[in-house]
Amino acid sequence: MIVRANDEISSPQAPVTPAMFNVLLALVDGEKHGYAILKEVAEQTQGGVRLSTGTLYGIIKRLLAEGLIAESRTRPAAERDDPRRRYYRVTEAGREVAVTEAVRMEKLIARARAKRLIKAFRPA
Amino acid sequence: MSTNRRTVSERIYGVLLRLLPFDFRDEFGSEMEEVFREQEAAVKQERGAMKRLRLWWETLAGIVGVAPREHFSILRQDAGYALRLMRKDPVYTIAAVGILGLGIGVNTAVFSVVNSVLLRPLPYADGDRIVTIRQRAAKAGVEDMKFSVQEINDYRQRNQTLSAMVEYHSMRFTLFRNGEAQKVRTGVVSAGFFDFFGVHPVLGRTFSPSDGRPGAPPVLLLSYEFWKQSENGDPGVVGKTYEMNDRVHTVIGVLPPLPQYPNENDVYMATSACPYRSSAQAMANRDARLMSVFARLKPGATLEHCRKDVSAIAQRLEQEHPGSYPKAAGYTATSAALPEELRRNARPMLLVMLAAAAFVLLIACANVANLTLARIARRQRELVVRTALGAGSGRLLRQLSTEGLILALLGAVAGLGFAWESRNLLVQFVERLTPRAREIRIDGDVLAFTVLCAIATSLFCGLAATLYSRENVFSGLKETGTQTSGGRRAQLVRSGLIAAQVAFSYVLLVGAGLMSRTLINLEHVDAGFVAQHVLAVDIDLNWSKYTTDQQWRDVSRRLLEQARMQPGVMSAAVSSGFPLDPDGTPGGIPQRFQVEGHLPDQVLPVANIRAGTPDYFRTLGIPLLAGRIFAATDTETALPVAVISRSLARHYWSTEDPVGRRIKFDEATNWITIVGVVGDVRDFGLAQEPKDQIYLPDAQNPSPGSLLLRTAGDPMTLARQVRRAILNVDPQTAITHVETMEQARSDSISAPRVAASLFGLFAILAMVIAVAGIGCALALSVRQRTREIGIRASLGADSWDLVRMVVRQGMWLVLLGLAVGLPCAFALTQGLQSLLFEVEPTDPVTFAVVLVVLAGAALVACFVPARRAARIDPMVALRCD
Repeated sequence: MIVRANDEISSPQAPVTPAMFNVLLALVDGEKHGYAILKEVAEQTQGGVRLSTGTLYGIIKRLLAEGLIAESRTRPAAERDDPRRRYYRVTEAGREVAVTEAVRMEKLIARARAKRLIKAFRPA
Repeated sequence: MSTNRRTVSERIYGVLLRLLPFDFRDEFGSEMEEVFREQEAAVKQERGAMKRLRLWWETLAGIVGVAPREHFSILRQDAGYALRLMRKDPVYTIAAVGILGLGIGVNTAVFSVVNSVLLRPLPYADGDRIVTIRQRAAKAGVEDMKFSVQEINDYRQRNQTLSAMVEYHSMRFTLFRNGEAQKVRTGVVSAGFFDFFGVHPVLGRTFSPSDGRPGAPPVLLLSYEFWKQSENGDPGVVGKTYEMNDRVHTVIGVLPPLPQYPNENDVYMATSACPYRSSAQAMANRDARLMSVFARLKPGATLEHCRKDVSAIAQRLEQEHPGSYPKAAGYTATSAALPEELRRNARPMLLVMLAAAAFVLLIACANVANLTLARIARRQRELVVRTALGAGSGRLLRQLSTEGLILALLGAVAGLGFAWESRNLLVQFVERLTPRAREIRIDGDVLAFTVLCAIATSLFCGLAATLYSRENVFSGLKETGTQTSGGRRAQLVRSGLIAAQVAFSYVLLVGAGLMSRTLINLEHVDAGFVAQHVLAVDIDLNWSKYTTDQQWRDVSRRLLEQARMQPGVMSAAVSSGFPLDPDGTPGGIPQRFQVEGHLPDQVLPVANIRAGTPDYFRTLGIPLLAGRIFAATDTETALPVAVISRSLARHYWSTEDPVGRRIKFDEATNWITIVGVVGDVRDFGLAQEPKDQIYLPDAQNPSPGSLLLRTAGDPMTLARQVRRAILNVDPQTAITHVETMEQARSDSISAPRVAASLFGLFAILAMVIAVAGIGCALALSVRQRTREIGIRASLGADSWDLVRMVVRQGMWLVLLGLAVGLPCAFALTQGLQSLLFEVEPTDPVTFAVVLVVLAGAALVACFVPARRAARIDPMVALRCD
C-alpha cells in the first residue's frame, strides 16, 4: 500500500493521518534520518505501508510545522555521519499525539472485538 | 555515500524535484536526493527490475501527489498576506484594480467581438464548406452580378465540385395583417435553403420540396424577431394566414434566433410564391438577374477546385450565349468561402480595435508596474526584515507575484463588468460591419481570454518587481527609511515604464486623431445636396393595385398634391429614392446605357437611374450646372428627356456640351435627349466618390418610392401630417421610413463615428493613465528626494529652481517617450489607411497636435509634484531620516 500525505484522516478527532502516525511511531524509540524512517515504517508494517520520498518529506514538513517532531541537534560520530542527512526526533507534543492516537485505535479495536468483527489476539 | 558525478537516475530525480515549490526544495531537496540515492542502492542490491520499476513509480506518484498540495498551501498563505496588505493600502489597491480593470475590460470587450466575428465557426451545418458563387462583368464595372433562373439551373447541372446549391434574394412586400399594411423584408429562397444551412425551426416546419413547385400554395416562415415583435411570440402562430401580393399566405413555422445571412429578413417565402421570381418572364430571360447563390463543396473538393469549375462553366456560357455575355463585358465567375465573406468587411476595423485595446492594456500594465515598484520601495524595510528572518529571494518574489496575480484577477473581474456593460454598444457598432454582430457574447472563450490577460498582466508586473527586488531588497540593509534611492536599475526600469506609457499613448492618440479627422472630414464633405430642412419619407405602394404606368403616374401626382398642401412646405418631389436612403437603393438602380455616336460593340457603360418629379433638384438643393431641369411639359407624350450628373458628363463628353446629346438603355429603341447637367451627389455614402447618375422625369418613368419635402421650419414637425396625407392617397401604403435628410446624412457616417468614439475613448483612457502615472512617479521621486531637495534649498536654490529641476526630470522621460512613439505611430498608422477619409496616415498636423496635447498634459502632471518640491521646508527636510 502506498500512503499519501493527503490520505483521509482516520477519524474526525484524530489530528494525524495514518501515514503521519506511522512516522511518529518510527521516531518514538529514537531519532532517525529520512531513509531510516522509510525503512522502519516498511519493516514494521511488513511492507504494508511504503512511503515515497515525496510523501515522507510532505509529512515531515507538516509534523515540523505542527511541532510534533523537531530536528535533532545531536549527530552521530563523524565517521558514521553524512552532513547531508538531517535527524528528527519526536517532541513531547508529538509523543502525546501518538499516545492519544494509539489509545483511540485501541478503543476502536476493542469495539470491533466486542462485536466479534475480529478475534481477540492470543499470543502463541 | 555518493560520488560527485551524478547518475542518470539522480538527474531524473532532480528534474522531478522541480515540481515541488521552491522553498520546499530549498529545505528538503538535498536530503530527499540523498534518501532516494539510498533507496535506489538498496533496490540495486536486490537485483530486481520489477522492484526498481516499483520504486520509480512510488517516487513519481509521491512527488506528483505532494506538489499541488504544497503549492496550494503556499499560495493560500501568500494570498492571505497579500489581501491583508491590500486592505491596509486601499488607495493603491483601488487605483491598480481600476487601471487594470479598464485595460483588461477594453481587451475583453474587443476580444468578445473578434471571437464572435472572426474566430468562431459559422453557426450553420458544415459552415466552413459553404461557398458563394459570384458572377462579374469586370470590364462593364459590375463586380457582383446576380444570377438569373437560367444561370442557376446551368451552374446546378454542370458543376463537378458542389454537392448542393440554393438561391436567395430579398424583396420588400406589403403584408396585410388584421387589415393593416406592413412592409416586410422577405427572403425568397429555394425550398431546401434551411436544410442546406442546417437550420431547424423553433415552431412548425421549414419549406418542403413541394412548397417550391410552381403553383404550390404560398407559405411563409417567420423570423424569430418578427414572431416575437409582431406576433408577441404567439405559440399558435403556425397555420395563421396573411395576405401578401394579393394571395393568402399560410405560416408554416418560426425560425430560431440565428444570424441571418446575407440579410436580415422578417419573413421567408419559397421561390414559387414570389411573383417576380416565378413569373414566366423571369424564368425565360437569362438576363433577369436577381438571385444570390450558395453551395456546399463536395467531400474532397477544395475552394480552388470549385473556382476552376465555375470559371469553366462561365467560359462555356459565354460561348453559348454571346448576347447575354458580350465579350467586351469581361464576364467571369468565381467562388468564395462564406465565412470569409462574412468577415471581410469587419476584419480591418476589428484588428485595428484589437491593436488599440492591446495598447491600452500595455499602458495599464506599465502604470501598475510603476505603482507596484513605488509600493515595493515603500515596503523595502519590511522586505529587508523578512529577508533577514530567512525568507529566500524566491520566496519573496513568489509573494510579490501572488500579490500581482490577485490584483490582476480583481482587475479581470472589474474588466468583465466593463465588457458586460459595453456589449450593447459594441453590437450596435459591429452591426454596421457584419451580420454576425448578434452572435457577440461573453462566453467561455472570452472568460479564458480575460484570465489569460490577467495572468499576462501579473507576469508583466511581476517581472518589474523581480528586476527591482533582485537589486534592492538584498542591498536594502545598507539603506535607511523612506529615503532609499531605489537603486539605479530600479530607477531605470521605472523611467523606462514611464517613457513606454508616453510612447504607447502617443500611438493611440495619433490613431484617434486620424479617426477624428476622418469623421470631421466626413461631416464637412460636400454631399452634393442641401440636407437642412428636408423631410424624406420612404413609401411602398401596394404594387399589385397598380398595373399600368398611368396608374403609377396618377398616384405620384396625388401624393405630390397632398405634400404641397402641407403648411410650411416650400417644395416637394416624388422620386424613386433619395441619396443615402438607408431603406432603399440610395443611388438608384444601376443600368447599362448606350451613348449615341459611340461604337455599338463598345462595352456599355453603367449609370444609376433615378426618376423624380420636376422639383426633385430644387427640394434637395442639387445645383443645375448646364441646360435645364425637368419641366411640367416633360410628360409621357413629350420627347423622352434626361438630366445627367457632372461626373457622367465628364466621363463621356469631356470637352463637349452633353446637352442635346442622346442616350438609350440596353436594347431600347427610343433615344433619350439630355436636357441638363446637375452637380454630383454622394448617393451611396459620404466617403464614396459620386457615381455616374442619370435622372429621368417621373412622368415618363413613374416609380414613386419616396416623398421629399423642403420646409421653412423643422421638417420633423410635419412627419405625422405627411404620414396621414400619404394614407389618404392610398391607405394600403406602407410607410417604411420617415427621417430628415440631416438624420440620413448623420446616420450614414455612424460607423466611422462609433469607430472614432471608441478609438478616442481608448486614447483618452490611455493618456489619463499615462499622465497620472507620470505625476505619481514624480511625486514619489520628490518624496524620496526630500532630504536632497532640502539641502539644495538650504544652499540657496529658490522655488523656481526646484520646480524646474522636477519638471525637467519628468519632461525628459516624456520627450524620450515621444521620440520612441513618433516612429512607432508613423509605422503603425499605415494599418489605418483603409479606414481614413481625406487624411493621410502620416498627417503632419495630427502628429503635431497630438504631440503638443500629450506634452502639455504631461507638463501639467509634472507641475503638481514640482510645486510640492518647491514648498518643502529645508529645516523639516534635513531632519528627515
